[in-house]
Amino acid sequence: MLQNERSLEMTKQKHQTEYVVRCLFERVGDASFVGHLDLMHTFDRAIRRAEMPILYSQGYNPRPMMVFALPLGVGIDTLGDYVDVSLAHVVDAQEFMDKVNPNLPKGVRLYGGINIDEPKNSLMSVVSVAMYRFEAPGIKAPLMHLFERDTIEVQKKSKGKIVTTDIRPLLLSGAQNPSASEDVVEIYCCAGSSKNLRPDVLMNALCVHEGYDEDLAANASVTRLMLYGGEYPRLIDIKELL
Amino acid sequence: MNQVKVSRKDLMSVESPGRYVGGEYGSVIKEDVLKQLEQTGTCKEVRAAFCFPDVYEIGMSNLAMQILYKCLNDMEDCWCERVFSPWVDMDAVMRKSGIELYSMETKSPLRDFDVVAFTLGYEMCYTNVLQMLDLGKIPFRTKDRKDDDPIVMCGGPCAYNIEPMADFFDIALMGEGEELIVEVTELIKKYKDGGKKDRKALLLEISKLEGAYVPSLYEPIYKDGRYQGLNKLSSEAPDTIRKRIIKDLDNVPYPTKPVIPNIRIIHDRAYLEIFRGCIRGCRFCQAGFIYRPVREKSPETLCRQGIEIEHNTGYDELGILSLSSSDYTGLKDLTDGLLDAFEGRHTSLSLPSLRIDNFALDLMEKVSQTRKSGLTFAPEAGTQRLRDVINKGICEEDIMKSLKLAFAGGWSTVKLYFMLGLPTETMEDVKGIADLAYKIEKLYFDVCREQGIKARKPEITVSTSMYIPKPFTPFQWEKQNTKEEFLEKQAYLRSLIKSRNIKYIWHDVETSLWESVLARGDRRLCDVIEAGYKKGCFYDAWDDHFKYETWMETLAEHGLTWEEFAKGFDVDDEHLPWEHIDVGVNMSFFKKEREKAYREEITPPCRTKCSGCGAQCFKVGECYAAK
Repeated sequence: MLQNERSLEMTKQKHQTEYVVRCLFERVGDASFVGHLDLMHTFDRAIRRAEMPILYSQGYNPRPMMVFALPLGVGIDTLGDYVDVSLAHVVDAQEFMDKVNPNLPKGVRLYGGINIDEPKNSLMSVVSVAMYRFEAPGIKAPLMHLFERDTIEVQKKSKGKIVTTDIRPLLLSGAQNPSASEDVVEIYCCAGSSKNLRPDVLMNALCVHEGYDEDLAANASVTRLMLYGGEYPRLIDIKELL
Repeated sequence: MNQVKVSRKDLMSVESPGRYVGGEYGSVIKEDVLKQLEQTGTCKEVRAAFCFPDVYEIGMSNLAMQILYKCLNDMEDCWCERVFSPWVDMDAVMRKSGIELYSMETKSPLRDFDVVAFTLGYEMCYTNVLQMLDLGKIPFRTKDRKDDDPIVMCGGPCAYNIEPMADFFDIALMGEGEELIVEVTELIKKYKDGGKKDRKALLLEISKLEGAYVPSLYEPIYKDGRYQGLNKLSSEAPDTIRKRIIKDLDNVPYPTKPVIPNIRIIHDRAYLEIFRGCIRGCRFCQAGFIYRPVREKSPETLCRQGIEIEHNTGYDELGILSLSSSDYTGLKDLTDGLLDAFEGRHTSLSLPSLRIDNFALDLMEKVSQTRKSGLTFAPEAGTQRLRDVINKGICEEDIMKSLKLAFAGGWSTVKLYFMLGLPTETMEDVKGIADLAYKIEKLYFDVCREQGIKARKPEITVSTSMYIPKPFTPFQWEKQNTKEEFLEKQAYLRSLIKSRNIKYIWHDVETSLWESVLARGDRRLCDVIEAGYKKGCFYDAWDDHFKYETWMETLAEHGLTWEEFAKGFDVDDEHLPWEHIDVGVNMSFFKKEREKAYREEITPPCRTKCSGCGAQCFKVGECYAAK
């Protein structure tokens, strides 16, 4: 009986109008050691503290309606990630950020937000390319050398088995205007739900194939500089992909 | 200022690095003090490190920490930071990389603080205190600390018998700390202003504050291996130390803007403490005696604070906290007020410690808009006889009546908590636990049939823990059950529970055996604890890390046995290691209660009839007002 009541209530739900605010955000320094799920909770609480009218999913376990463009690994800084927040009524994006930012912990900040009335594409589906910056002593040359290889095989554990995959197709290019320093390198690579290169996998390949020092790799500072849509090299600003 | 650096590699090599980075919303940064520290390496304010001797997720769930963090940071002359025990993996990394224990707020090394204050919620955290001092490069023993070493102190329920840790603490604070910790800090401020000269004089001065116990001012006397009391080493030291309480809970600082963790913690919700003390007087329960007298906060204050906390924290759950929520006289006003205020905000209330009746079921329906969670009962003992012995004012009829209501209302999950090893327990009492579970199973199907409800598979969980006699209870003199007795009782109960609807969960016996030594131990254990720690014992509260054999072996190496701590004390002519502490409840009351227990006589709740426990000496509280 209880079960029937539940399903009845679920079907009764009327469609709620969503007003979406799409924001860029950065997560830097100590805050980058907070995992992706924890970061979602952190956003949720900050938005609630800011008294912003966030919408909740329907059903028996209502969740705040927030979509992140791409999960971010622990220990990786970001300067250009995206989040869509669904609100019950229109709040100007600037006001939203002004209210939420003081409520975020140290190292996390929203910027460059826009209002979206009718989002057609889910934020996660439009992401295809990420730009990363790696900083570590002498990292530029060996990392650029990886690009000259035809294949870059890495071993991954998948369901208890060790699988070998080639990550070369996921590497797109070194940055357009690389820094003069030998200790910094910026690259474009595939990102998103279908094809994605994790920075830690790349660092592992760097050690295995280029003999880069494992300690230096482990201490390298990794920053996701920006996420894009479109197809490399014709990248599209995600704010234009509604 | 010194700051501890942890490399990215080190942080990435441990589980949940978010535990070690700080930066949480609500954490206090005193900019002016920070500036002084950055410019001169020192500051005129007292720097306090509030230490929780367990992992971050547990420490951050602790309300006492949030309360005292606020009290200290509300002081103009003090900046309090937080420090947690690094988990086993981080501990190893820190030792390997030579990283000192540091604070969350400024990453300062522990030894740079003026005060290092531990909260001791459970005995099994003792070795983690040593771990933290060790990683913080602070001498373990109060006698080895120099004038400019941090003042190391503790508080919390375990402070009431701090003797097993007495050599490690300069000060132990008895009772509720909101006022006392401020008074102690003021004296430390003067000490710091004076250039930190004569630590002994400071400690003697602190010992004159009511509720502050300075163990180094006393030495224990033993005769033939039995404890004979403490000998004062200074004529100025007080003979007894009376615990402190807060007289007016409506006007005591409460953390309505607590630190919000960035990672998920054990109890990830906001908290509202509604009253202190308990009217029940269950004879096994230390909390029921040490927190007397009963003092309530008004529903008006609580509603105001509850709303404020919900706004300030962004939590979607507010936990109502007390020893027995149903005994709060303003519960209806409070819950109505809060439910009204949270309407449409996706915030729920959680109400543990509810006695199940119509009101409670109605309330549970209202507070949880989601699915029906399980019901929890703590009969503690399987037979009425034994429940009378322990003064658990709950009878089978009450339980059955509550469950009938609950089953008719659609509940089908019941958890039952019991203890094994209670004084006077027989196998008949153990069997009573299984009998009760079977009666509840039968009741479920009976109610379903009568009410025409389609019966599901009920989930009845029976959970037993081991009873450990604790100081400041009527059973403080009792003998503890042996390992064999506990195991026999568990095995017997296991053999009795055969139904697929009843699940039996039992706890590890060995941790309880060691806990019982610590709970009623004396200063001879200081050496044992230090030796055990040096052999690698810490995180004893975590079954996976608890090393029973090492502890028993270490006891033996110090010429001690488990039996001599477990056998208890002679009621009439033996000294108790905690007898110099005064919690307000008289020893004569405990003796009277013990005798009544053996006569299977119950004592009514404080609200029904005052039993003259002695807590009226505080001249405050519900029972005092009623006179």
